[in-house]
Amino acid sequence: MTGRRAAAAVSVVLLIAVSVAVAESSLLVMLLLFSSILRLNFGVELGDQWLTLYAPRYAPVANVVVHHAGTIGSIAFTLACGLGAASWRYRRWRPA
Amino acid sequence: MKGLLRLYPRSWRKRYGAEMEILVEETSGRVGVALDLLLGAAIAYRDVIRRDRVLSAAGAYLHGACVAVLLQAIAFVSLILAGQRSPEPTDLHTGPFYFATVVGTQPSSGSETRQQLSATLGLSAPFPWLPELALLVGLVLVLVVMLATPRLLRSLR
Repeated sequence: MTGRRAAAAVSVVLLIAVSVAVAESSLLVMLLLFSSILRLNFGVELGDQWLTLYAPRYAPVANVVVHHAGTIGSIAFTLACGLGAASWRYRRWRPA
Repeated sequence: MKGLLRLYPRSWRKRYGAEMEILVEETSGRVGVALDLLLGAAIAYRDVIRRDRVLSAAGAYLHGACVAVLLQAIAFVSLILAGQRSPEPTDLHTGPFYFATVVGTQPSSGSETRQQLSATLGLSAPFPWLPELALLVGLVLVLVVMLATPRLLRSLR
């Protein structure tokens, strides 16, 4: 029984981690797409690396930078929204 | 057409699969039937998920994460809309934590040739904020649909 519980707990943690990773990746793709459409220079701080997208240089363009706190805050916000919705549904669940 | 029955949950196929195969054989070839089968599969999954507490919570988790992603995309476009044409850098921050910065365009800083080139290429449109606004409206519409989806699914019979 303990083994099954441990397996279930690992599965839940993996589901949470994978879904947040997928959500953040799709958000990043969306932001890159928007930056391309709106002709922006876009940069994200990822650890000690930078992910940047430069717009063509034939016109003055705006620069948008997402800092470390933004990246971490985004992950925390996605996680909090997901967990909040899940716990709300779990507590208020009634058999259909 | 029969292949669409594989989209249904296993428990449902065990119970009704044989009857449905006969029904589909009799009415195959119609687009309406295919759409009905797709809608039926969505309803069958909804029922399976709603019956189980953990699955229901997992569905709510994924829905919450999707809403969070959309909210962040809306915040991103709003920040650009607010800061893109401002001569000063626009920061989104709380206390010492800086989340994002927008440094707007400065038309006066470019050379004359560059400005002429921009004008020739049609980059100095009368409503330069229109693409941002269109994106923002599109994202808000998607968010509304996303928020209404659980209610719409509940109302399906």
